[in-house]
Amino acid sequence: MEETKTSGQLSLAIPSKDSPEATSTQMTAKKAPEAGASLSSSSLLNSNLVLSCVDTQINQNQAAGVGLAGVGKAVATSKTNGNPSSNSNSNSNSNSKKSRPSLWYAVYFPQLGTLDDLQQKDALTALAAKAISVSSTVSFHKLALVCEIRSSLGYFGGINLLHDKLKGALSTALIAMDQPEHFFYASSPTVSGSLLLARAGQNKLVYQKSNLRSALGTLPADVLNLSKEQNRRLYNMGIRHLKDIWRLPGDGIRKRFGSEFVDQLNKALGKAQEPTLNYLPPPTFSSSYDLPYELENLDRLLPIVDEIIGQLCDFLTRRDLSTSHLMFSLFHEKRSPTCIEISLRQTSRSSTHFLLLVETYFHNLTIPAAVIAISLVVNQFDAFFSHTDALLLDGRPDATSRENNLNQFMEQLKARLGDNYLKGISCVAEHRPEYASACVDVNSHTKKSSIRKSIQNKVATRPRPIWLLEKPEELVEKNSRLYHRKAISIISGPERIETAWWADHDVRRDYYIAQEANGSRLWIYRERSDERRWFLHGYFS
Amino acid sequence: MNSYTSAPDSLQAKVGNASGHIDQLLNSNPNLWRGCDMAGQGSHGHSTGFSQLDSILPGKGWPQKGLMEVISPQWGMGELQLLLPLMRSVIDSGKWILWISPPHSVYAPALVQAGIDTNQILVVKMDASCKDALWSMEKAFQTENCGLVLAWQNWLPGTVLRRLQLAADTGNTLGVIFKQNECKHSPSPTRLQIKESSLQKDHFSTAEVTVLKARGNFRPLSTNIDLYSHQLA
Repeated sequence: MEETKTSGQLSLAIPSKDSPEATSTQMTAKKAPEAGASLSSSSLLNSNLVLSCVDTQINQNQAAGVGLAGVGKAVATSKTNGNPSSNSNSNSNSNSKKSRPSLWYAVYFPQLGTLDDLQQKDALTALAAKAISVSSTVSFHKLALVCEIRSSLGYFGGINLLHDKLKGALSTALIAMDQPEHFFYASSPTVSGSLLLARAGQNKLVYQKSNLRSALGTLPADVLNLSKEQNRRLYNMGIRHLKDIWRLPGDGIRKRFGSEFVDQLNKALGKAQEPTLNYLPPPTFSSSYDLPYELENLDRLLPIVDEIIGQLCDFLTRRDLSTSHLMFSLFHEKRSPTCIEISLRQTSRSSTHFLLLVETYFHNLTIPAAVIAISLVVNQFDAFFSHTDALLLDGRPDATSRENNLNQFMEQLKARLGDNYLKGISCVAEHRPEYASACVDVNSHTKKSSIRKSIQNKVATRPRPIWLLEKPEELVEKNSRLYHRKAISIISGPERIETAWWADHDVRRDYYIAQEANGSRLWIYRERSDERRWFLHGYFS
Repeated sequence: MNSYTSAPDSLQAKVGNASGHIDQLLNSNPNLWRGCDMAGQGSHGHSTGFSQLDSILPGKGWPQKGLMEVISPQWGMGELQLLLPLMRSVIDSGKWILWISPPHSVYAPALVQAGIDTNQILVVKMDASCKDALWSMEKAFQTENCGLVLAWQNWLPGTVLRRLQLAADTGNTLGVIFKQNECKHSPSPTRLQIKESSLQKDHFSTAEVTVLKARGNFRPLSTNIDLYSHQLA
């Protein structure tokens, strides 16, 4: 009755409010025929438009009025329904809740307590990814996950089957993490209630909210995860079980233990709402395109790739992400698909950059058969960081754009040459000459300033050749003279390197710097072991 | 301006201040080349780090951009020692050096000893195909982050050399191609050819470097350089 009353008042009030506007539009509509007959039709249209506008305004005002008037009323209705809804999550389900209160299934993993915070988070995320197979709502808690299972009970055919399915998935995930595979579980109509039951190690199922109080009452008080001081105080008050707390007056408990403590108990009993932090599966992008005819020429594929990359960039822009790993698959008839993996040095979401890289890959690619379909899958995403330009550039490119150019250049090189052919080099602190230099991936370069000094310390003080032979060449000794291509004479030395007797490749050598008769400078050594042969190990070049 | 220095004093006095201005104007533009520039008031090159070599190179040093050929009968004759000072200055200016298919593995400790930061060095391995090597060379010329490109390619056709030369010129980068064989009549746009010859036994550390061809030189000039002077203390 109240509702109809208020809306009636509003509908009465609105015409009076909007009448000046309406009259003014009517005035213009009247003026228009005077201006010319040709305009009359358009002015009529105008007046129609104005009228419809007025209608919508009325509707809007009605809506707003109801909203405003309903402030007091909304509370009243919710009270009469007896359905408190402070949480947006539960608000959306409030209709279904009437018929079927949700059932929460908690899984508690005490063995994860040995890990540090970050590892715990990773482990729980991995477990949640498994648990999402039985429930659409999986929330994170301390060492535990809670799933809403009422909505999926019918689908899985009862809680036992659902539990078996979840147990199998979680056990394999735990074993994969090198953790013991056991866990505690409990199910009840509240999140905290299930958590408390699981934490107490009572693998229990409580269906009705009314039974929750008695089920929780038998739990020991230390499942509440309180501080040492609070536990001690509870113990001194003679409280051993949760039911002992319920006998105490609520106000007094709130004063002594804080409202958090009381809230936790209220949540467990379903007297208060509890918001949850839900698991969101990571985003994936996949798009495929079936070609209307077979394509041999990869250049013809580029417009389609362009379109797919456009979709990807839209996807990334909408979610404010960027990516560094693209996986293209080219499908052939009766053959396994050709996969192209594109890894970027730096995350990006620029379509031109992606397209340039794909073009470079295609240039080098030979396909076993004609292409009938193409797909793109992207699983790895990173947050997007936009680049900022300096305010006063004076026409010079700043550091970030230089860095970008370099990254693009290296990605192009990698796309064309492959990872194995493009390397950086770095020093290794090692006495054996053949292990003192290492090929490294260009990605793993650390910042130069920090590493520079440490490198200086790593390097031998005696001269080293710029080129080292992968395999030392044996020198010929004739008439007590050494020959490589021409006669060799020793300039300086020896430098004795004798180390790594504990390893497989021990080194016992005397190194000399020598000069060949044609002018090249060599780094040669003589073995100190049995045969005392001479070897060429490098060129000073 | 050699011709003027050899002219009589009286003439020079007459020319007076005007010639000073003209010199200044002429020297201010490195693109302006004069046949008699050999003694080089215009010093617009990277210094090689070897004073004898500087004196016979036009521009008093390595060219700033373009393509250069270094010819040695065998790899490892000291050709890299010649370029070490250049590499050091390129690295110090924050640019990268790309090594394309070097014949042996590049030994990082030696570069660090020479004061070259190995974090800014990229190596394209020897077994990469020639086509890929040339492609990466051209790409490197087009990137402003690459200050120097070293490539080991024994034989390249003239058109390829011309193309690389153009890319290096437009990209403002110096490219060095190491060769083993000298082809006198190659149509190469090469600016410099440096040749090292064999030595007497008692002159261990000097190498003979010949500038066979360079823009600004009329005839081959050669000098003896002590390449390994910094190594044997």
